[in-house]
Amino acid sequence: MRAARPIVEFFGVTRAYGSRIALDDVSLALEPGELAFLVGPSGAGKTTLLKLINREIRPTRGEVWVDGIAAHTLKASQVARLRRRVGVVFQDYKLLPRLTAKENIALALQVGDLRVSDEEASERALDALEAVGLGDRGKAFPHQLSGGQQQRVAVARAVVSQPALLVADEPTGNLDLETSWEMMDLFGDIASFGTTVLIATHNVEIVTRLQRRVLTLVDGRLVRDQPSGRTGRLAWLASS
Amino acid sequence: MAGIVVKGRFPRRRIAQVVIANVCRYLFMGAARNWARNISSTAPALGSMTLLLLMSGLIGLSGLALYNLEQVEAAQASVLHVYLRDNAASANVDALWDRLASDRRVASVTYVTKAEALVRAQHMPGLPQLADASESNPFPASLDVHVKSIGDVAGIDAMVLYDPAVDPVYPTSYDKGAYQRIQAVLFGVGLAGLAFVGLLGFVAVTVTINSIRAAIHSRRDEVSIMQLVGAPRWMVRGPFVVEGAITGGLAGAAAGLVTFGLAAAGMAAGSGSFSQFAPGITVWVAAGTAAIVFATGLGLGSGSSLVSLRRHLES
Repeated sequence: MRAARPIVEFFGVTRAYGSRIALDDVSLALEPGELAFLVGPSGAGKTTLLKLINREIRPTRGEVWVDGIAAHTLKASQVARLRRRVGVVFQDYKLLPRLTAKENIALALQVGDLRVSDEEASERALDALEAVGLGDRGKAFPHQLSGGQQQRVAVARAVVSQPALLVADEPTGNLDLETSWEMMDLFGDIASFGTTVLIATHNVEIVTRLQRRVLTLVDGRLVRDQPSGRTGRLAWLASS
Repeated sequence: MAGIVVKGRFPRRRIAQVVIANVCRYLFMGAARNWARNISSTAPALGSMTLLLLMSGLIGLSGLALYNLEQVEAAQASVLHVYLRDNAASANVDALWDRLASDRRVASVTYVTKAEALVRAQHMPGLPQLADASESNPFPASLDVHVKSIGDVAGIDAMVLYDPAVDPVYPTSYDKGAYQRIQAVLFGVGLAGLAFVGLLGFVAVTVTINSIRAAIHSRRDEVSIMQLVGAPRWMVRGPFVVEGAITGGLAGAAAGLVTFGLAAAGMAAGSGSFSQFAPGITVWVAAGTAAIVFATGLGLGSGSSLVSLRRHLES
């Protein structure tokens, strides 16, 4: 049987902002259902790498493939097609404050696919909220939820349309340790259902204890790619 | 083994209904809600655009009236009224008539009696009072000479000036250069009107572009979230265009109604003199102008939004 094609592939990707190189000749591949951490000191290029995956920016050089789509050549008018296959979670949740938790999730479903009716969107949004342990908070507005709960809603929104890939940029940055572990359990569950999960984080404790694949960026270069179970010492700690 | 979920085919009509409902909600209702929420920042654009469209409507109507007036003047300028002596012999009048009718520069000659001249005067601005004030008929009989080309009017005028049938005090109604003066005045008025509308248009478009830019700026988080969850470009940009169209449409509707109202009021207030000073302006013409003003508002509002989006909203 032919092996499944990687969900994310970088081939010699360089991204420069003027004269500053944010990402330098990075090549990597993420397989379906894989959970990987992206670590590195501040300014190492983690966010740039995530933005390249989500086609918020384009590489200066090299190729970025996401679920079979060439993100490096994608026109602005076609970006939505890629973004419907990538769920994104941010440190600051990015929920719409005037919508309830359920409406925030339903919105993501309906803007991605106009054929989704209100009833279907509502039902699936509630299912997603149930899955992240917030089944009873559907009618709450973001300001009525704790940071951890808001982040769970953001995760539910990111996965409700069953994307092939979930990228999270410092998802535990605003959370206490206990809630951070709960979030990591959630990401683990999502990966076990076949979604590739890539998490950019500064949280060393989580990375070392979970023993998943770790990609280490330092000064825009991918200096280490440690497979799961062999995380060991984190290279970026030594250089930061 | 996992169970198999059997689903019936979703009726196509139902899918179309759902798509239409979603488009209406995210494009039109969302835009209307946002427009109402941002009314304070939209108010200057609404005001300046209403003023622009109102002035455009009024200038347009005035322009049409002036154009029609020019046409009337042009037609009148090619008519030379040759006034006859009160006691002119009919043989002299006939001889003059024949001489004029046989001239190849003349299209036609019409005899106007003193009574007909009086009736005509009663329909001309300013003359009814004169016609009513005098007990006897002060208006002379005339030969109305339709000249083929305006340029030949002066030649015909010179030819009849010393004819024995012609009134020696006030021989003709010909005013050298009157038509050219009217044309020059109309050209100047038209040019000034265009310049004024152009300036006002620039101000209105700039204010609208800025108000949409402010709307984009105030909703940049919302826009970026919509983009990140995979909203297509039209769904992100569309509501801003609809908001611009709402602003332009409301301004157009208000300006159109005022334009129509003013024209209708003018027609109702003085139907006789209005048709003399603004020939060709009827209820239908005023309604058509109002419709054009409304359509222009819609186009201007949505066009300004598009320009603003291209400048200020990243893909």
